Amino acid sequence: MGGAERTARKKRQQQTAARKAVTSARSGGGRTKLVVGIVVVLLLAGAVIGGVLYSNAQKNQTEGQSITPTSTRAGDYPVRRDGVVVVAGKDDAKVTIDIYEDFLCPVCRAFEQANASAIEQKVSDGSLRVRYHMVTILNNRSDPPGYSLDSANAALCVADAGKFPAYHASLYGNQPEEGARGYDKTQLAKLGTDLGITAPDLKSCIDSGRYNADVQSATNQAVQTPYLQQDGGFGTPTVAVGQRVVSISDPNWLTKLLN
Amino acid sequence: MVRVLDWVGTLVRLGLAAVWLVSGGIKVSDLNQTYVAVQAYDLLPHGVVSVVAAAVPFLELGLGVLLLVGLGTRLVAVLSAVVLLAFIGAVAQSWARGLTIDCGCFGGGGQVAAGQTRYPQEIARDAGFLLLAGWLVVRPRTLLALDGVFGRGEEGQTGGRSGTHSAEEAAAADGG
Repeated sequence: MGGAERTARKKRQQQTAARKAVTSARSGGGRTKLVVGIVVVLLLAGAVIGGVLYSNAQKNQTEGQSITPTSTRAGDYPVRRDGVVVVAGKDDAKVTIDIYEDFLCPVCRAFEQANASAIEQKVSDGSLRVRYHMVTILNNRSDPPGYSLDSANAALCVADAGKFPAYHASLYGNQPEEGARGYDKTQLAKLGTDLGITAPDLKSCIDSGRYNADVQSATNQAVQTPYLQQDGGFGTPTVAVGQRVVSISDPNWLTKLLN
Repeated sequence: MVRVLDWVGTLVRLGLAAVWLVSGGIKVSDLNQTYVAVQAYDLLPHGVVSVVAAAVPFLELGLGVLLLVGLGTRLVAVLSAVVLLAFIGAVAQSWARGLTIDCGCFGGGGQVAAGQTRYPQEIARDAGFLLLAGWLVVRPRTLLALDGVFGRGEEGQTGGRSGTHSAEEAAAADGG
């Protein structure tokens, strides 16, 4: 082995050592960066996955629940279905009001809680007739969508079986939240059975969505009816007498209407 | 000067952290309302709305926590910017299509009456947050951050560490 050769080898070794040092310095910083990046991504992915699981669990509270039947004084006034409108009360009543409601609408629930017993009393004594319009403007606010329409259709099916007032009161008494799961057709049919409906037709009426198309076109029509617009649009609940909207923010609206 | 910029960056980081923690926290506290808010944008099929409405609040919280502790600041700032750009795009398309919705940026959301929309303010606010994220993308070096504990790998561009530079120059000179 000559001197020149030895010098050349030494130089190569030195170069290799320098290269190794550079590589390790680089990968040291790079490795930290990579590890931090992975940790960040994993933490965020964990938060998102955990969040989705938690969210799904909390919004499916209505799953497997029974809708608690609410009793009403039904029976002492006539109730009939007229197309996709349910008419409660005697035809010779002094005043007829049109109520537009969506079963998912929280303000409608508040309206029912505040007024249902007074309305029922006036309908029973023959002075008031109510035309219930079940509209579905909040149909895609359930997750999955469809509760507004399914419940409106079911209420019409139930009206044919003569149990509309109790069914209507039960749905508002157990109203699901917007943005969460509603009740499915099975649960809606079971409420009918629990209220004493024995007609075998009920389940197929609810399952097939017998009145869906008519309810939807009635909803579209209500949304576009000029005299039903308030604050720049159609909303629920809306109460009308003839072609005039009644201001239900006045707590004495019903009394004033009947006097 | 560098020290002043570090402090500015720290305030920017904590400010953006606060934005995410507050907005995410409000959304997590009412997830059903968040679904209504996302649905109102009328952009996504319902199955996707469901996932987005469930994911976004927790993603925001995650970004907020990471910014608060200062871990992976640049990456988190980039992700924040991406999320904010998506928000701005969603609000802008609602405005362009004439929808009348509240952005639901800090809770709320859903349909509002015509004339009640606040699209310009909402976009301006998000653009402001985007500036915060932009600062941290360009200059992620901040104080009181975990990044400062785990080596300086994240802040290579501001460090000016002569040792590494000379080693790299030596390697380049070697010619491999």
